[in-house]
Amino acid sequence: MNKIKLVMTVNKKNVETEIEPYARLLDVLRDKFGFTGVKEGCGIGECGACTIIMNGKKVNSCMVLAAQAQGADILTIEGVENSDGSMHPVQEAFLEKGAVQCGFCTPGMVISSYHLLNENQDPTDQEIKEAISGNLCRCTGYKQIINAVHMAADNMKK
Amino acid sequence: MIRFDYKRPDSIEECLALLDMYREKARLFAGGTDLMVEFRAEDKKLKDVELVLDISKLTELKIIKLDQGSISIGSGATFSQIIENPVLEKYAPFFIEACKTVGSPQIRNTGTVGGNIGTASPASDSVPPLVAMDSKLVLASSKGTRNILLSDFIEGAGRTLIQPDEVIKSIQFKKLKPEAGFSFVKLGRRKTLAIARMNVAVYVESDKDGVVTDVRIVPGSATPVSKRIFEAENMLLGKIPSYDLHEAIGKKVSEKMIGITGKRWSTPYKEPVIASLVKRALNEATGVKENE
Repeated sequence: MNKIKLVMTVNKKNVETEIEPYARLLDVLRDKFGFTGVKEGCGIGECGACTIIMNGKKVNSCMVLAAQAQGADILTIEGVENSDGSMHPVQEAFLEKGAVQCGFCTPGMVISSYHLLNENQDPTDQEIKEAISGNLCRCTGYKQIINAVHMAADNMKK
Repeated sequence: MIRFDYKRPDSIEECLALLDMYREKARLFAGGTDLMVEFRAEDKKLKDVELVLDISKLTELKIIKLDQGSISIGSGATFSQIIENPVLEKYAPFFIEACKTVGSPQIRNTGTVGGNIGTASPASDSVPPLVAMDSKLVLASSKGTRNILLSDFIEGAGRTLIQPDEVIKSIQFKKLKPEAGFSFVKLGRRKTLAIARMNVAVYVESDKDGVVTDVRIVPGSATPVSKRIFEAENMLLGKIPSYDLHEAIGKKVSEKMIGITGKRWSTPYKEPVIASLVKRALNEATGVKENE
């Protein structure tokens, strides 16, 4: 197997590394760069814990080959915070509304919510449910998460 | 994880040349949503794969166009791209409805219609409406192209007539009449991220007196290969839609399903369920009330 030189942007920083041609993007983000906020839950595209934003679209990083990320612009949970290092309104609202229990789904949930609020500043319950439909949470029953997204939307308008 | 080399061809021609060279040792990678699961599970059918050909960035394979009444969808079009396409929204709305039920937003952002066809899962959501529209596939190899009906192309669960040097280039079908009735009904264990337990695609065209002039009924997950159930369709052709007729047609579809698959452990469940889904889809497509 010939190794591949991978150049991409992760959380606004240009990064470069050598990867195996069969490496998953999920593993490269975690093991080569330490972005361990990207979680592996099921590894088969069902739980959404590994959700990242790649070139403006949310994808499951367990279903992407790292080689496909050549030249890509990637955002992980580590890049969601404000530029001064304070929490993003979505992160604050998740804490405030008790939308986190065991926390394993949280990075993916926050990424999906963040992506939604970038496109839709005033989402309905239905639009929020649709946006997080690819992220499974087995603790909260989703209600607190939906409340948190509404709160974040309100706070972002202020 | 299965180990392989990776290449990203810059054109279809380059892809076909590589495919011709590697044949069974190469694997096309479109959205990867099935393939990544199989690589991870070290699926035996992939043990000879030496090279992954990444076609996910080939823009030539992503074109959706309407040309003289015929719609062509590039095999590499993602489900997200399909759902947002105004031409398909107008002329093939039940296909859009079906694509909206695929996986999750994340899966739909990468998963492709060509991949869904190539995987040939009997539980595919996109295949029943495509079969209902008598879609044909354009297959390309370094030797040229050939056309084949989608319902002939899929041979069985996970089996198709694709040759080792071929790529599914596009899917083509005639546009539907926007005023016709259509429905796609899916039954899953939950709304998203659920594989279809059963689904059905229905299309009904009527004249000004309400007499049915064209009808297509294609159940999914009921048989190994989704096909139009002509015997059931003929029961509605030339008739005025009604609840009782739809109920009888549902029973006919169920009967045909058992004729194909035989009695299985799942039959006591699937027999009434597919009959009911067909009835519901026909009611929805023709505006007949459910509780008459």
